[in-house]
Amino acid sequence: MTSTMKKLVAAIGVAVLATAWWQLGPRTPAPWTELDLMVLQRLSLDSLPALPPDPTNAVADDPRAAKFGHHLFFDTRLSANGAVSCATCHQPERRFSDGLSKGHGIGISARNSRSIVGSAYSPWFYWDGRRDSQWAQALSPLEDPAEHGGNRMQYVRFIATDPDYKNQYEALFGAMPDFSDFSRFPAAAAPLKDPLVSSAWRSMTDEDQRIVNQVYANIGKSIAAYERLIMPGPSRFDVYVRALLSDNEGASNDILTDEEILGLQLFIDEARCTECHNGPLFTNNEFHNTGVLSFPGDLPDRGRIDGLKKVLADPFNCLGEFSDDSDKRCLELTYVRSGIELIGAMRTPSLRNLGGSAPYSHKGQNESIADLLDLYNLAPLAMIGHNEAEQKLNLSRRELKQIEAFLKTLDAPLATAEEWLRAP
Amino acid sequence: MLSRITTTVLLLTLLSAPMAQETNRSQSWLTQSGYYRVSYTSMLKPLVINRIHEWVFHIEEADGAPVDNATVSVTGGMPKHNHGLPTDPRMTKVLGNGDYLLAGMRFHMNGYWELTVTVDAGGRRDTVIIPLTI
Repeated sequence: MTSTMKKLVAAIGVAVLATAWWQLGPRTPAPWTELDLMVLQRLSLDSLPALPPDPTNAVADDPRAAKFGHHLFFDTRLSANGAVSCATCHQPERRFSDGLSKGHGIGISARNSRSIVGSAYSPWFYWDGRRDSQWAQALSPLEDPAEHGGNRMQYVRFIATDPDYKNQYEALFGAMPDFSDFSRFPAAAAPLKDPLVSSAWRSMTDEDQRIVNQVYANIGKSIAAYERLIMPGPSRFDVYVRALLSDNEGASNDILTDEEILGLQLFIDEARCTECHNGPLFTNNEFHNTGVLSFPGDLPDRGRIDGLKKVLADPFNCLGEFSDDSDKRCLELTYVRSGIELIGAMRTPSLRNLGGSAPYSHKGQNESIADLLDLYNLAPLAMIGHNEAEQKLNLSRRELKQIEAFLKTLDAPLATAEEWLRAP
Repeated sequence: MLSRITTTVLLLTLLSAPMAQETNRSQSWLTQSGYYRVSYTSMLKPLVINRIHEWVFHIEEADGAPVDNATVSVTGGMPKHNHGLPTDPRMTKVLGNGDYLLAGMRFHMNGYWELTVTVDAGGRRDTVIIPLTI
């Protein structure tokens, strides 16, 4: 080996060691500032306000409705083939998600199944916000041909003819209408794409359609009363923040590792995650285009720009006749806004309980947390619309690992009693 | 000034929601052509993200006289993120003495916002951009 080559090898060696030190070497988290502590407090579950009432759902907080909804949520008879329930895609053991890219009901859903944990706090539902209440959302999969695949006439007749369900229904909503006349109430009817089901629906009088819609809405309201109980529980992160904010110096030691704390510091600062993942549920429940690539074989998803049209047209929305809000305040729907930035925008998901709910993004395009973080680090151009997070983060592999380590501290058992987390 | 305070107190009484008032009357902004002076009061205090709420805008002539026949509209956004407000706030009430109630205000991110306030009164239309950091 010539001396030039030796020098070259030595230089490469030094560079490799320096990189290794930078990527792998020990680092100690800087002390938290007062401002940091304020940010952490806002992210803590202790800052979660009491669940706001849902004025559109008169039985939202009625324990009898929650019990009825609990049965309905797990009942596969609420489907075209008797094999699909809400719990098919919203599995309690997976934090009410399903671990799949797209939901598998009767067919394959258009998008990833979102967790329902803490969803009662959101003004919008689905990735594109095409529904504006938990109960309106609960109705939608029941008629989606790829999900439960049934029709509202079938469902209301099922409730009316099952003695136990009929009793539970009537205790909440009064006498069940008589659906025994098949000339007025066909076997299958709903305003759907299926031509037979749709034409049967059109053959009904406006008043009979309204009667069916009212019972159908009440089914959704009962399921929502159950879903309102599904709440996140305190994670290691929350325990850490509580200890940090306590007067007891040293109480926060050993709750999180240095790597997790470094990840948290990046999360609230350099990585700018809290711009959208803010508040105790780590979501602003708003719509953002973050340049997530299209699902292989699918056209780019238009997201909120279409979801907005759908929620405004939904007869079960806050302003509709089946909403129990007599004042029809409906502030979110009344003052909702459109705009080109909503093209390809999807609702920010919560980051609590990411473990077990992979894959991520609206069509499960990202297999792992590491993939998701790579997306923000690289900030690709959006396939349609504009990537709001277009500024590359330029974080090192190690820093990304630290953020991932922090995100895993947000996993925790739910704050919901065990009896609600299994089929009744 | 006294009647403005009265209006504010009245508003707080009427709005039973547990919101306090955040006043930015200490600061006002002159519209681009110099027709109006604009100040605002948020009915949500502290002004936090992710909560829909109301603002009262106070509009004066450049000489300080309250403007009572105006239409006030607001748009806005975050220049850094190239997106607008998540809502479409609208004027819902003329409160008198130059005060206008706008409903549907909501911010969904912390950071630097710019609000474009347009005042249209008696055929004179003018605009001002108000900076706001949340």
